Amino acid sequence: MSAADNKNSSYITDKEVSFKFDGKKYIGYEGDTIASALLRNNVRLVARSFKYHRPRGIYTCGIEEPNGIVQILNEHNEPNTRATVKQIYEGIRVSSQNCWPSLNLDIGSINNLLSPMFSAGFYYKTFMGPKGFWKRIYEPIIRRTAGLGKPPKEFRSKSIHQNHNVDIVIIGGGLSGLITARKLINTQYDVLLLEQDSFLGGILKNSKKIKRINNKEPNEWINETEKLIKDSKNIKILKNSLVTSYNFTNHLIALEDKSVGKKIDNNKSELTLHKIRTKHTILANGHIERFISFRNNDLPGVMLAASFEKYIHRYGVVPETSPVIFTNNSTTASLLKSLVDLGHKPAAYVDSRSKDKIGRKFLNYLEKNNIPFYINAEVEGCDGNKKIKTISIKKSNKIIKVKSSMLCISGGINPDIHLFTQSKGLVKWDDKLVTFKPDVSFQNTITLGSVSGNYNYEKTVEEINNKLSFFKTKNIKLKIELNDISNFNIKELWETKHERKSNWSKSFIDLHNDVTTKDLKQAVREGFDRIEHLKRFTTNSMGTDQGKISSINSLGIVSKILKKKISEVGTTTYRPPYAPLSFSAIAGRNTYEFYDPQRKTPIHNWHIENKAVFEDVGQWKRPWYFKKFEMESMHLAVQRESEQTRKTAGILDGSTLGKIEIKGKDSLEFMNLIYTNAFTKMKPMSSRYALMLGEDGMIKDDGIVCKFNDKHFIVTTTSGGAPKVLADMEEYLQTEWPHLQVYVNSITEQFSTFNISGPKSRDIVSKVFTDVDFSNENFPFMTFKVFDYMDTEVRIMRASFTGELGYEIYITPNKALELWKKIFHFGKAYDLVAYGTETMHLLRAEKGYVVIGQETDGTVTPLDLNFNWMIGKKKKDFIGKRSLTRSDTSRDDRKQLVGIIPIDKSEFIEEGQHVVESERLPKRITTPVEYLGHVSSSYHSPNLNHCIAMAMIKGGNKLMGSKLFVSSTYGTKNIPVEVVSPVFIDPENKRLLS
Amino acid sequence: MTQLLSSQGIDISQKNFQQIIIRGDGKDQFNEKINQEISTFPPSKNLEVTTNDKFIFAKNSFDQWSLIYLVEQDYKEILKFISKINSNDEILASDYSYGQVYFEISGENKNEFLNQLTHFDLRLKRFPAFTMAQTLIAKIDCTIYNLKDKYIVTCNKSYEDYFKERLKDSIKL
Repeated sequence: MSAADNKNSSYITDKEVSFKFDGKKYIGYEGDTIASALLRNNVRLVARSFKYHRPRGIYTCGIEEPNGIVQILNEHNEPNTRATVKQIYEGIRVSSQNCWPSLNLDIGSINNLLSPMFSAGFYYKTFMGPKGFWKRIYEPIIRRTAGLGKPPKEFRSKSIHQNHNVDIVIIGGGLSGLITARKLINTQYDVLLLEQDSFLGGILKNSKKIKRINNKEPNEWINETEKLIKDSKNIKILKNSLVTSYNFTNHLIALEDKSVGKKIDNNKSELTLHKIRTKHTILANGHIERFISFRNNDLPGVMLAASFEKYIHRYGVVPETSPVIFTNNSTTASLLKSLVDLGHKPAAYVDSRSKDKIGRKFLNYLEKNNIPFYINAEVEGCDGNKKIKTISIKKSNKIIKVKSSMLCISGGINPDIHLFTQSKGLVKWDDKLVTFKPDVSFQNTITLGSVSGNYNYEKTVEEINNKLSFFKTKNIKLKIELNDISNFNIKELWETKHERKSNWSKSFIDLHNDVTTKDLKQAVREGFDRIEHLKRFTTNSMGTDQGKISSINSLGIVSKILKKKISEVGTTTYRPPYAPLSFSAIAGRNTYEFYDPQRKTPIHNWHIENKAVFEDVGQWKRPWYFKKFEMESMHLAVQRESEQTRKTAGILDGSTLGKIEIKGKDSLEFMNLIYTNAFTKMKPMSSRYALMLGEDGMIKDDGIVCKFNDKHFIVTTTSGGAPKVLADMEEYLQTEWPHLQVYVNSITEQFSTFNISGPKSRDIVSKVFTDVDFSNENFPFMTFKVFDYMDTEVRIMRASFTGELGYEIYITPNKALELWKKIFHFGKAYDLVAYGTETMHLLRAEKGYVVIGQETDGTVTPLDLNFNWMIGKKKKDFIGKRSLTRSDTSRDDRKQLVGIIPIDKSEFIEEGQHVVESERLPKRITTPVEYLGHVSSSYHSPNLNHCIAMAMIKGGNKLMGSKLFVSSTYGTKNIPVEVVSPVFIDPENKRLLS
Repeated sequence: MTQLLSSQGIDISQKNFQQIIIRGDGKDQFNEKINQEISTFPPSKNLEVTTNDKFIFAKNSFDQWSLIYLVEQDYKEILKFISKINSNDEILASDYSYGQVYFEISGENKNEFLNQLTHFDLRLKRFPAFTMAQTLIAKIDCTIYNLKDKYIVTCNKSYEDYFKERLKDSIKL
């Protein structure tokens, strides 16, 4: 027989939709999933299995689907889409995956014949050798054959994130979820109701188990409830939103598909990742039916009974008018009744339970409707090629063969405890329900309905009123009438006995990962008798479905092998996400131009106009170098910029420098404690290069301190270190030195900073700031002045990071560009050049100035840099002082800062290379090569016309004048170098003080 | 003022406000000093905001206040005010006038819109009118002032282009 329509289903419109599957055109209805539309068209073969490439059909009707996983060609080739969830729309193109050359004829199915080789642990045992095979043979082959679908092509997602803060989240808009929502209507609580489907109702729409609610048809009651919720002020419904993760502190992640049943709009977001923070989480997410293992329980045509029922009522398609039903519990009664009500007759009803458990009433029903039934019986297996043809029923040691193309199975139902266990809630085994159900919540989690193990719908209201009694709400009253013939009962059955053995016949425990019950038994035989070990050895329940329909079954089978109770075997861990979600949804808009926030200085646009090439310094975009002409390389630009700066003048946009204002009556004491330097005798309106250490004595940051008076300072920090330095200052003030009356404010963004340096810099600034006397006598090195200029306040400090005469200019950002342009206007006569960070580094290296984070790496003390002069030795205390006297920090053979130059001046030394004593490295390094240190900075100096470098090497101070070697990326020959002072230019400071 | 966006129940405009950050102990002498200069007392409750048609005055933390001028002042006057405040050794006032950018966000969907960019709980019961908060919006440090029918959001000026693009992008999608 074939599929038929159920015209009574009201959830599918009669609007026809054409779609393609594997290139062939089919017609479905609006509202159909790919699976329901294919079943409507009598398509049974939809996929090939992961390992053995066995033919597979639709097995379920929801997110738990292990087989029907397809690729959506017209949605950027989106792979691994569940056919049972994805709705069709006009023109959707779907293809099967993991098969070649076609679904019908798949070469990979040879694996099925070779299956004795591919038993549990195959990978672990096989790819151990011979040596070299892994790299050249195994890995390339496995990489080529691994996985299911193909990755998307040229896909740029527009997924967004949406945050929610609510009091209560209800997960699941089925019977329990809707009753709960009704109870919370117009209360003080902000409530979010999340439903994975595009409509509310759950079990009410998936079956005819419930007849009436408050004397209303279920559909009418759902519509009434939805309207009440929508009209309420406090409840919001999110449909098509699947909760994938339940994290600590009641933080939930839900994924909303915004293009259900329609083509993706490339200009809009296709997915929304909802990040929800709530006080209480109500899990009303129902249950999942499980299967039974038997011979060839994976053949297309085998389907879970509740899913079959769902197709009938939700999608209006009867996949087969005379299927065989095989069960061990009472839930299949409603399926049988639905078929009979539609005028169809199952080919057989097979029940492993005894007469007593089934109940006289139901047996009478079977007899009355003339349905062949077998009690105390099992399905031994089924046979067919690419779909079921015959089903073997075993009763009293006899095999009865029944012809049918579909077999509906039910091995019982499991509360959907995935989210509950993700929340770290504890579960317990229920012997009566033969399943695990929630026991103790770890967070504010309440389970309601079948997820809590309450399979009696009549008792749902009572359960809700009891469990939610602590909320300030009224009790709800509802009368629920059932269509069900009997109350839930079940007989434990995990696997039936095989009568026929062949390589083709297999009894699966995990359809997604092609794990058989034989694999489980073998794993236990090989010693993997702990369920977590067994899971990993066999890959059972490790597929993208997380074994939703089978993981409990594997526990059942293992418990039988080990002769233990299931509760003693324990459970594996369900980990987030509940169902796969794409990386694009996780990333949201934090990609491409929004990957990381970008910071720009007020001069940024000028830099762009003047061909700046930018580098990222933290989040800042800083000019790296400026191209004079399009083809100018970085090397040429940097050589030009640095030469010009030393010749006349250069200017750097240093606005990114951290700046902190410090004020209070105890500021001087604070400064003496924070920095290594002594500030007590420092004159007002002077400045000083200062070092900040960690408590371990290692250099943390540096900067220049401007002292207004003993109660007021402004300090600069490194660009990247500013937030940390400010936070440390605040922390010390609040925790270590609360007695100090000091306040600190970040003023990094409140002042733009320009560093102008070079022999002509005085001439230029004198023309810009005509009222200021820049003479050596009146504006000496390391002093500063504050004055009114351009209707604002300007601070100029005489300081230099290049070794040249230099000034640092600070001005409010709104006047910065105007001043920058003015400086250029007057600087033109002196060939003033703008330079970037690379030139800054070169110039400072020529002068032997260090960069924190380049010469230092968190293991360098001031003594290592020969900065002894910066330590206030008479100071009572400062951060890191004690650590500087430790034997390790004061030993002579620590790595110390030196300069190095290649003996052959035409050679270039690379940053990061090792400094060693030997001229050559052996071709094969068998014993450790002694390493003296590393090159921290290296540049080609245009002013010296050879390479200069700084290095941190062991006992460097004693090695001055020595010949050492630096490794290179070219061959094993090292570059001979001479150890020299790190100050390469103007050691007498003539330029600096000019 | 520059109108940035007006769509789907959201109105966003950029404002030319000026700001001063004031640190002090919040005791009588501090309050008197401030009152002497601007004829108003600083708010005394943490995260409290007082406002009139000229300025917003907010207590950011136990020892920090922000004074935002809603009507552009002569900058020299602001510097003069800072200088007067700083004449007291126990107070630190820093000029934040041009290193910050200011956005006014209003409209019925302002919460939902902002919650695309921040996890911060904007519900009135958790973020009452005339209070302020410092939080991450679009991954950057921002200060948000709840002025009942609108929010004022400020961040460092260096983020201006990035932040505006994020706002526009969120509206578009």
